[in-house]
Amino acid sequence: MGLKKLWFVIERDLRMFVQYKFMLIMRGIWFVSQVALFGLVVNKMVEKAVANYFHYYVAGVTIITLYSISMFIGYDIFEEAEHGVFEYLLTLPVSRRELVLGRSIGGGLRSFIYIGPLLVVVLFILGVSNPLYLLVALASLFLFAFGVSGMSITIAVAMKSGDKYDILIGVLDALIVRLSTTMYPTVYMQQAMPTYATVARFNPLTYAADLFRWGTGVEKVLQFSPLVGVLGLFIFFFSFTFVGVVFYEKRLEGGSWQ
Amino acid sequence: MKAILHVIEYDFRNFFRYRWFIAALIAMNLADLFISAIVFTQMTRGVVDYFRFFAPGLAVVGLFASAFMIGREINMEVRREIHHYMLSLPMTRTELAIGRVLAGGLRGMLYMTPLLITNFIVLRFPTLPQLLLILLTLLLLAIGISGVSISIAVSTTSFEKFVTARGVVYYMFFFCSSVFYPLSIIQVLATRGLWPLVTFAQVNPLTNGSDLIRSFLLDSPEYVFSPLMLLNIAIFSGLFALLATFAYSKILQRQ
Repeated sequence: MGLKKLWFVIERDLRMFVQYKFMLIMRGIWFVSQVALFGLVVNKMVEKAVANYFHYYVAGVTIITLYSISMFIGYDIFEEAEHGVFEYLLTLPVSRRELVLGRSIGGGLRSFIYIGPLLVVVLFILGVSNPLYLLVALASLFLFAFGVSGMSITIAVAMKSGDKYDILIGVLDALIVRLSTTMYPTVYMQQAMPTYATVARFNPLTYAADLFRWGTGVEKVLQFSPLVGVLGLFIFFFSFTFVGVVFYEKRLEGGSWQ
Repeated sequence: MKAILHVIEYDFRNFFRYRWFIAALIAMNLADLFISAIVFTQMTRGVVDYFRFFAPGLAVVGLFASAFMIGREINMEVRREIHHYMLSLPMTRTELAIGRVLAGGLRGMLYMTPLLITNFIVLRFPTLPQLLLILLTLLLLAIGISGVSISIAVSTTSFEKFVTARGVVYYMFFFCSSVFYPLSIIQVLATRGLWPLVTFAQVNPLTNGSDLIRSFLLDSPEYVFSPLMLLNIAIFSGLFALLATFAYSKILQRQ
């Protein structure tokens, strides 16, 4: 596998991403309004239950943003199928595997680049208590972003219609975000409905959010060992990158995307 | 009147083309209520019964999102020049514009109905006069939102710009209102120098709409019906329905 060719594929996805400037601006506005309005006001509302919910929420919103940006690669795949760009990609002097792996890495990398400036602001708000923990947390977020991109590619290639993909992603987004600790601690999910807490324990967003809070010092003690969290994200990353690559590679053959 | 009904029928047929999309939106709204709101209820004990508080807000959120969908379609028609066909129909531009604004509002009402019924089931059923007042308020609100959406749709030349503008309007209206949290708690922002946001939240029609439903369904002394709520929404609705009608009929014929 040629690394140079792999890089060309990644670079193309990074360039494509810049084209969505309005979408990126909108996501930025969403992030700011979530932090500056929702976070501040809800912090006041839950101050008796959660000490400094604002910090807890800021870390959670960062993970939600990373998740939604990483999911965007699926829309690119549908756009390409609809506009006949697949055929062009197949004529390039890169192997199917390089193409597919490059897309998966590109999808994760571009979301990390997007989140970069937001992350600086977030770290300014949250502070850093232990740089080593933060590095572990950021490495885990890399795994998370690549895993979500792989998941997005897997879902996109498994579906024939862009509309159905859009709908499924919307519903999945509603469930996966709400059934995680991005917005609220597990203890309250347990009190509300034990099933919610059980689902949240196996949710990659929970691992990513909790590790990020641990890395920045927002939470000193996690409900699971950081090692378990990193391992959980690694399994998520490995499964979906592998499955995504195999699915996408198979679909490229024989024009089955049409 | 017949021409306006034809336009409304056309928009309703378009609306049902997106039935799966609508079903997914309802599922997302219900996930907000039956997952997030239930968990927040545990976190806000002693402050507010969040589940009961949020249920009316959810109906207003659903109404807003669905009434806003008309703008997406009109923006698409403008970009694909389908509006030339619309302008060739045997009706005046004003009839066409009024039909679109009303259709947007009525579609919002249709979408919101299951969410409102959920409210009645989980909170309580209103009396007949209360129900009529709730429906009138929500219809006015939906027409106003449809007006805002159409005004933005005809003023933006690209879909991306429309989506961005829609995002800004959504977040301003949602997060600066009492849809997600009580107005008394929003007032904390004033202490941080964000008093313009507090003022906006107070006059926001979404605040008045959701608080009006709460005044009938929550039986709480904090929420008392005031005719000013209805007046606020009527002014918002009249203003934006007129603006949208004017903008739609004038801007389209100029292109």
